[in-house]
Amino acid sequence: MGGLSTSLLIGVEALQTTQGALTATSNNIANANTAGYTREVPQFSENQQTHEGNEVINGGVSLTGLQSVRDQLLNLQIQNQTSLQSSADTQSSLLQQVQTYFTTTGEDITSELSAFSTSLAQLSANASSSAVKQGVLSSGQNLAQAFNTTANGLTSAQSDANTQVTQTVAQINSLTSQIAQLNGQVAQLTAAGKDGGTTEDQRDELVQQLSSLTGISVMQTSDGETITTGNGTPLVMGSNSFSLQTTTGTDGMQHVLDWSGNDITTSIQGGQLGGAIQIRDQVIPGYLSQLNTLASQFSASFNAAQAMGFDSNGNAGQSFFTVPASGAAAGMSVSITNPSQIAVSSDGSAGSNGNVASLTAVLTNALPSGQTPAQAYANLIDQVGTAASGASTESTAIGQNLLQLTNQQSSVSGVSIDEETTNLIRFQTAYEAAARIVSTIQQLNTDTMNMMS
Amino acid sequence: MIESVAQDRESKLAEYLQLMRLMAFELDRAMKAIADNSLQALEDSVANQQVFSDRLGELAEDLCRPASERSVSQAKEVNSRLMEQIGAASDTLQNLNRRYSALLKHSSHSVALMVSLFSSFQGQMQEDSGTRFNQHTWSCQI
Repeated sequence: MGGLSTSLLIGVEALQTTQGALTATSNNIANANTAGYTREVPQFSENQQTHEGNEVINGGVSLTGLQSVRDQLLNLQIQNQTSLQSSADTQSSLLQQVQTYFTTTGEDITSELSAFSTSLAQLSANASSSAVKQGVLSSGQNLAQAFNTTANGLTSAQSDANTQVTQTVAQINSLTSQIAQLNGQVAQLTAAGKDGGTTEDQRDELVQQLSSLTGISVMQTSDGETITTGNGTPLVMGSNSFSLQTTTGTDGMQHVLDWSGNDITTSIQGGQLGGAIQIRDQVIPGYLSQLNTLASQFSASFNAAQAMGFDSNGNAGQSFFTVPASGAAAGMSVSITNPSQIAVSSDGSAGSNGNVASLTAVLTNALPSGQTPAQAYANLIDQVGTAASGASTESTAIGQNLLQLTNQQSSVSGVSIDEETTNLIRFQTAYEAAARIVSTIQQLNTDTMNMMS
Repeated sequence: MIESVAQDRESKLAEYLQLMRLMAFELDRAMKAIADNSLQALEDSVANQQVFSDRLGELAEDLCRPASERSVSQAKEVNSRLMEQIGAASDTLQNLNRRYSALLKHSSHSVALMVSLFSSFQGQMQEDSGTRFNQHTWSCQI
């Protein structure tokens, strides 16, 4: 049946369709400032028209659904950059903490090396003075203490990074569990032919948060999103999540295990977790190793110089410093307890100061590493400063790139009020003009009838 | 003289018929533009409709003007086939016009609601930047 019934049906469908579009629009506007919101576009389809003689039956339009405007490639780029930035931020933050142990405080290694050198110079000028010898002993103790403090500071920063690993893994597990749950909800909504846009937005937001915790790889599958770490360890597959675990390794650090118990610590990159592991397992151990080498080589060289001379009692010089085999900087100490044990004499005779030059030379000659103690330490400071500054610079650069990507995402998924308003006003104007023509055509009908009569 | 008047009337009726067909085409085009949410196409069509309706109005006024009985009777003979075609075109145009009218009514209503929604929205708007895709977040098509 065509005619009026068809028109009425078309009208009802049109109202329902318009209502759907209106709901989508109001939702877009209401969420114009909601972080992570993706605008939705109503999808329409034309209903099939059939002709019976001069009559047209059916037709009209249906609202087939609301489509969220997403750019998956952009989302992946943003996740990747978020991961890199978060890693750089974490590294920058931990390196700033490390840097504080290398700054000049008057009690740092540079200052104490200088003070030790000064005390030895004074000893050279006045080798028989007990007070000057006491000064050498004290400055040696202060130098050893400075090595201890710096090494303990590095260990403390390493411990902080270790704590961060445990906390981050707990956060990752919480997020993957929520994402898996949302994956299931999206699948159910899609199966029921409903719009899952809002749920997908929530999931995208959580995936974004997850990418700031660790580097991830996201794939769209029939079950929803499959998320793995960079090396392929599954975190989320459809509505299932795979928890990571932590366990204390033989090195005393927390190691990350995948759901099946494999140690994946070394393969984790990116995000807070990757940044913390990088600093904890590679950067700080590297600095500690150099510091230990310096402490060990300096102590050995000074002890060797001591052994070349004789103390005030005519005894062969004994070791001035003691360093443990492992953790030389943290365990460095002065082994002599009496100023008279400093091997000033080169021949064991009283009043000789021939060995002071040998002791002093340790500070100015190159160690086995090829650098003087001060140079070796300055080199270490330079490395720490460069690394901290590099991490900060990298974070800033990635941040700018991320901003650009986020803006681009906003231009795809965001709501432009200006554009909407302009289009609405133009439509209104066009409709008003069209309405005047409609009444003119109605009048023309009367005129045509008159013409034909 | 009478022949000339008849020829003139026939010419005007032919133009009237042509314009009605063009107008029907434009109404169809306008409805499709609304369905496609194509604002530019709708504006173009409405501009054409205005031109056609103005000219149709002028012609109708002219053709309905009383003429001498003889010229009218002669003109009727000449234009009988043309008048049938005009009658058919008029019916088509009226049908299309009714559909168009209903469509405009519904669409105008939805646009008005949306305008009111936009006007009443209070808060900070986050303007997007970068290259925009040519996509709309709303539609009023039927």
